[in-house]
Amino acid sequence: MEPSNDVALDIIVSNVVSVFRTRCHLNLRTIGLEGSNVIYKPEMGKVLMKLRKPRITASIWSSGKIICTGATSEEEAKLGARRLARCLQKIGFKVRFTDFKVVNVLAVCSLPFQIRLIEFTKNNRPIASYEPEIHPAASYRIKNLRSTVQVFSTGNITVTGPNVQSVASAVEQIYPLLFECQKTRS
Amino acid sequence: VTMRKCTNCGGTDIDVDQARGDAVCMGCGSVLEDNIIVSEVTFVENSGGGSSAVGQFVAGDSSGNVPSLGGNFHTGVGRESRAATLQNAKRQINHLGHQLQMNQHGLDTAFNFYKMALCKHLTRGRKSSHVIAACLYLVCRTEGTPHMLLDLSDLLQVNVYVLGKTFLVLTRELCINAPAIDPCLYIPRFAQMLEFGEKSHEVSMTALRLLQRMKRDWMHTGRRPSGLCGAALLVAAHMHEFRRTIKEVISVVKVCEATLRKRLNEFEDTPTSELTIEEFMRVDLEQECDPPSYIAGLRKQKLKQVTHHMALKVRDLKGDEIEVELESCRPRARGIYASYSKDGIVILARDEEGEDDELRAAASHLCSTLSGEDGDGNEQDGDREKVSPTKRPSLALLLGALPTAASLGLPESITKMREEKENGRSAENGELDLSGIDEDEIDRYILNEKEVKVKTELWMLQNADYLKEQKEKEERIAKEKEEGTYKVQKPRKKARRREPISASTADEAIEKMLEQKRISTKINYDVLKDLNKSSPKSPTRQTDEASAGAKRSPAARQRKPQLTSPKIGKTISSFGKRYGMIVLSQFISVFLSLPAFLDFFFFAHTP
Repeated sequence: MEPSNDVALDIIVSNVVSVFRTRCHLNLRTIGLEGSNVIYKPEMGKVLMKLRKPRITASIWSSGKIICTGATSEEEAKLGARRLARCLQKIGFKVRFTDFKVVNVLAVCSLPFQIRLIEFTKNNRPIASYEPEIHPAASYRIKNLRSTVQVFSTGNITVTGPNVQSVASAVEQIYPLLFECQKTRS
Repeated sequence: VTMRKCTNCGGTDIDVDQARGDAVCMGCGSVLEDNIIVSEVTFVENSGGGSSAVGQFVAGDSSGNVPSLGGNFHTGVGRESRAATLQNAKRQINHLGHQLQMNQHGLDTAFNFYKMALCKHLTRGRKSSHVIAACLYLVCRTEGTPHMLLDLSDLLQVNVYVLGKTFLVLTRELCINAPAIDPCLYIPRFAQMLEFGEKSHEVSMTALRLLQRMKRDWMHTGRRPSGLCGAALLVAAHMHEFRRTIKEVISVVKVCEATLRKRLNEFEDTPTSELTIEEFMRVDLEQECDPPSYIAGLRKQKLKQVTHHMALKVRDLKGDEIEVELESCRPRARGIYASYSKDGIVILARDEEGEDDELRAAASHLCSTLSGEDGDGNEQDGDREKVSPTKRPSLALLLGALPTAASLGLPESITKMREEKENGRSAENGELDLSGIDEDEIDRYILNEKEVKVKTELWMLQNADYLKEQKEKEERIAKEKEEGTYKVQKPRKKARRREPISASTADEAIEKMLEQKRISTKINYDVLKDLNKSSPKSPTRQTDEASAGAKRSPAARQRKPQLTSPKIGKTISSFGKRYGMIVLSQFISVFLSLPAFLDFFFFAHTP
């Protein structure tokens, strides 16, 4: 059985999280009051700024470190981050765009068959873990790719990893294991 | 065993008499040792006249802290704390275990798990009650007892997911594979709590059959086992004419009403529910069902397809009217679309399904600019087909919003090259690369002065409490500064983790430990450094004696130099060595047991 060659799996990247630094101190109150799309939470010490064009949400700290979430691809994340820096520049801070790094990528994938989770966990003993009392999915951690795959019994899987490449490799790696434990109609 | 040499004649033939406690050289007859410490069982006389053995019971797992009579110079440091931790843990495990009615074997296993966790430093940063609960639950899982994580969290009043997290960490670090929980294990326990009386066994069997059926119908994967049990028991109870309401079942099984109803509904959907009671007991249907969530997914997909077909049909029927409307709305795209005629639009519509209207308008705008250059001679079908395939890949590249990884594969390499160049430029000086940024849109994000004022007022109102708190805090600090009692709140520094000592011999290990710890100022560390260099005989000999008389009073100590060597010059250095030996005794196990100490002490004080 050669499962992975024939099927074209649709891996949909739903979230990309990235960080970058502006290398300058930011006055959160100024940003909070002058931006139209910002929420300032002084208790948490950060400002939430939401952009519309690449639909992203950014958490801005006064140290100049910024986390961007909500992008759907790595390029979009970078574009959004640059937009954000430009916006802060216009408000009046001397921002510089340094240390941009994509930290986490979340993707979902729908497999065309259901999966027997208990069998899957038994076959992959220490790497996979399944606790129905706690979470309905079995989680499979791939150490060398630093990715985690959560497998649901319906055949949907969610993959998280440090970049899009690792996510794709993780799906390729786990597909044959899942194919073996699929639930076939008798 | 190294043979001792006689100091007088150098002979090695030494007779050691255990009964008298003497060591005599057979060559010259000189007495080498007097009052040797013996390690035999000794008896003392009780007040009642009987005799009892001298000694203390030492438990196998405890560190065996020997109570000292002469002063315990730091021998208890480090050991006592660990023993106290283990004792505390044992007590807590027993307490919790008795509440769960676990047997002693289980409690012992749990204690072993706790010891393993302690060795791997898993107890750091976690509440000890959590770790203990996790150990107990691990035992429950490996033994297969019908205890749920929920029970433990009830007893401790802790969120069950927090406990679950600790439990998962424990399982992973200890590399223990707990077998998956089977809902069948819970049935007898719940049946008992529901008080079925004499027919409890029959109801249990029926519920078990129902559960097996549910398993075959794929209702149990990814679900809490207690919910399924509740549903099975409810149906079984009804089948045997027991009236158990959903509320009663819920209070026993600890799921919510909605879950139970949902399970019952799912079971209703399976073909087994059509059977009568007798048929169910006799027959087992062959056919298996799909899991309910899969069915729900299929249903949604079907619904989507149906609505899509309906939409298409509507469009076909009212095609002309809608297209006229669209054409009038769309800016600057009329020329191209008119040339495509109605078929062309339908193709486009089907492809662009699911994208925004904005994108469509943008796409049309781009097409007009792109294909406008080719000239207006694209009324023919051939040209149309030529233009449309070339149009689509360029769209993908420009818009870059396609979700599949396959399509990202090709442009990704191109954009990566671009990015690397950008990174090279911007990483050097941190300058912001302004390519691809729409300035106007960003200007929209920044408010003008009037808006800023309004927003400031609003924000002040919203966060009034926080601002008040901040002010009070500042006043407090200013007051304390005046009084001089202002304490700077420094964040707690993280405890520096010491490297574990790796040494090849015991001597090396001792050296390194002493270097690190600096236990006492009275120890002559230089002497200790010479320890290895001095003859191998004397350290071991002194070690024996030292460990034998490790906890000794000063009086006894003064007698010691006579036995080793009469040279006074050496006494000071051997004094230092003695202290060193006391520390050594931490690591070298105590050769002789306590009765010997007491015995020696006894003898030491006889005149």
